Amino acid sequence: MNRIYRVVIGLVVVTALIGSSAQTNDSALRDRAIGYVMTDLFWSVYQTPDAKQECPRGFNDGPREQFEQLYPYHEGLTVEETQLKQEIETWHPSTEPDGFEFLEVEGEFSWGLNLDGEVGPNDFVHPDGSPGIDNEVYRAVGCVIGFRGPDGVEFIFQNKAIVDERYNRMMVELTEVDDLENDDSVTVTVYRGMDRLLTDATGSRVVPGGTQRVDRRWGQNLIRQTEARIVDSVLITEPIGDLIIPWQNLSVPSIQLFRDARFELDLSAERATGLLAGYADVDTWYYQLIRNDSTHHLSNGQISGISLYKALRRLADAYPDPETGENTAISTALDIKMTQVFIADESASK
Amino acid sequence: MKFWSEPGRRTVLRLFATTLLCAGIYGALSNAEVYAGESADLSEALTESYREVPIPPEFHVEATPLEGPVFADSNGRTLYKWPQHKLRNGYSGEAPDTPACYDEVLIVTAGLMSPYPPGIKLPEIDNRPSCTDLWPPVLASDDAEPVGEWTVTDRKDGTRQWAFDEQPLYTSVRDTQSGDVFGGTRRRYGGDSPALRVPVGPPTQHPPGFAVKATSIGRMLTTNKNESVYAFDGDGDEDSATSTSCKGPCLTNWQPVAAPALARPQGEWSFFERSPGVRQWVFRGKPLYTYILDQGSWSQQGSDVPGWNNVFTQHAPAYPQSFTVQPTLAGNVLADADGKTIYRYTCGEDSADQLGCDHPDDTQVYRLAMCGGGNPERCLQHWPYVIAGDNEVSPNRSWRVVLIDPETGQFAAPGEEGALRVWAYRDRPVYGFGRDKRAGDVNGGGTGEWRGQRNGLKAFWLRDDYMRGIL
Repeated sequence: MNRIYRVVIGLVVVTALIGSSAQTNDSALRDRAIGYVMTDLFWSVYQTPDAKQECPRGFNDGPREQFEQLYPYHEGLTVEETQLKQEIETWHPSTEPDGFEFLEVEGEFSWGLNLDGEVGPNDFVHPDGSPGIDNEVYRAVGCVIGFRGPDGVEFIFQNKAIVDERYNRMMVELTEVDDLENDDSVTVTVYRGMDRLLTDATGSRVVPGGTQRVDRRWGQNLIRQTEARIVDSVLITEPIGDLIIPWQNLSVPSIQLFRDARFELDLSAERATGLLAGYADVDTWYYQLIRNDSTHHLSNGQISGISLYKALRRLADAYPDPETGENTAISTALDIKMTQVFIADESASK
Repeated sequence: MKFWSEPGRRTVLRLFATTLLCAGIYGALSNAEVYAGESADLSEALTESYREVPIPPEFHVEATPLEGPVFADSNGRTLYKWPQHKLRNGYSGEAPDTPACYDEVLIVTAGLMSPYPPGIKLPEIDNRPSCTDLWPPVLASDDAEPVGEWTVTDRKDGTRQWAFDEQPLYTSVRDTQSGDVFGGTRRRYGGDSPALRVPVGPPTQHPPGFAVKATSIGRMLTTNKNESVYAFDGDGDEDSATSTSCKGPCLTNWQPVAAPALARPQGEWSFFERSPGVRQWVFRGKPLYTYILDQGSWSQQGSDVPGWNNVFTQHAPAYPQSFTVQPTLAGNVLADADGKTIYRYTCGEDSADQLGCDHPDDTQVYRLAMCGGGNPERCLQHWPYVIAGDNEVSPNRSWRVVLIDPETGQFAAPGEEGALRVWAYRDRPVYGFGRDKRAGDVNGGGTGEWRGQRNGLKAFWLRDDYMRGIL
């Protein structure tokens, strides 16, 4: 009797757990739709513990170190000959050599996606062994300490701004979803939200279940739509022709522009985690960086805008300028984390 | 000693009118080739009331279209303070009762910013002004006596200088007419901006619980928690409202600004009892509300709701009629007739005296470096001046048509060959940005040193929901 009782209790518990799990999925999927809001965005940088694999010759110098090398006796010089000369090079960058060796990533591995469907000599290998990874931004910034975690200045602050600044409040909504684990056809819409994020009592951890209104007042031009499929809980989107990601860091409204952008996200009822990859417009990439971070801020991450621009242009691998033939875009990937959110689109409801 | 004996607002209006009638009271226009005067603005201009405070006899309150009521000397010159300001590697500005602006010409950088070290030679040393060349101290006579918050402080050169609230006072050589406030602004600066000079004036007349913020669109009324305050078109604008049309469902999103039990009507302020025991503040006949869906301080989001408007003690002077307003990803910017965003240039030197470098009479070395790598022709491509149409004239003192020599960036004389007729705001030319291709592009904002705060461009925001660009 006791045994039967235990079996019955066990069945009840198992049923309850299954029911609970189904309920979780049901509560996130409403009208065959689920939304996620962005909470983290980093330039993907594959790091080994001592950096010996990817940066065997160390890290690049920044503006402060370069200034000391260029002007060891600055007291006898003028502002025009020193400070403004460096700022001119920063704001009117060129591809001409600056006299400093730029240390690119030399390792074999990188996070990212195979954007062009090919395996070429300049491609990286994914840590899971997949070849053909296109991520030349990583080759440029991987040995710049400001872009490396956990304490690089860009790693910290550009990401922090994703949560702090409503201007950066990007969301994806999956519609026509039959099954969050496997579905061969869903629609993905990219919007900007308008609202603060729902957090736990610490105020720092974003929790699922919040609500975001769609920004159609200022964010109409950010809305994009693409088709996707879900394979083993991984969302794989078709490329988006031109995706604009609003990304202001220190109160300078600016953007990143990606061509052929695609998401690859591990989905759950509460989170979406993975990559945003595509070809970043080189000039937009560079000016987003230096408009939000002054030479002082860049110095804290040993980021020489002058040297980095030359590397970006040198490594650019897509979208050649029809007149000059020079590539205007560079392959890249970003680590992205999103949290489930209920998306309220007043315009759609009307 | 003089105490104002009549209500502040009427005093301001009178002084404002006097000012306009006597335009040019102490000096010719600095450079204007065409100037229509601002009398057209006066009839509709709201002016901000202020609280009466004791004032020494040689000073008075001047109504200014840009900055509200300010203190001015007997010639109508606005008075400024130079508050201490924390920079990256130290402080600049003045500690209380400690004048730091003298006639010494500084020749090297102070290294107050980063990453550039101190001791670098400043530009154009032979022509470089001293601090007092640009900021004459307001000197006190030997028999000057403290009045209220006005005190007299000793300078190290043996002279005595007036101070208000312990801050030594100066005038600006950039101000050439009564009501000019071209030397500085009460708008927000901070972070990595230079240690700026700030106009000084009497406190705004409003009840406790309110504040006034200087913005690009006027002096915005808020609560003392920086919540925007709104009024509804449907409410009456008689002198003293006794009711409101915002009732029932309207209150879902609109919160009446409650007047406490001890509140008393004063000047333009009154209240009414909207329900038993609940009194609501009224300003200029309009019941006041906050908007529950506002996402931050100094918001304009409530003004998206038809019929609702932010409240200002006074609006900013009108911009030129040919200008347009363009939506962007962050809000509305001021734009030229073609929809191209308009930018202000801001510049301050890394010197102990933090002299400005954004006025055409200042050194142009910094601006030419940033806009064109030192090449004036490239500057015209990257940061084009906003050209005034042949028939356009200045609508007011804040927005003027001026003549500029594009080679030097300095003011040009009438008839000077090659001079450009360009728009200027606060006596400084405004610019477009070469990389802006379409209406609504704002690619120039933050361009230049320190995110455009010390030697670069700021977009002219009229509305923003994200980064307080109107402040």
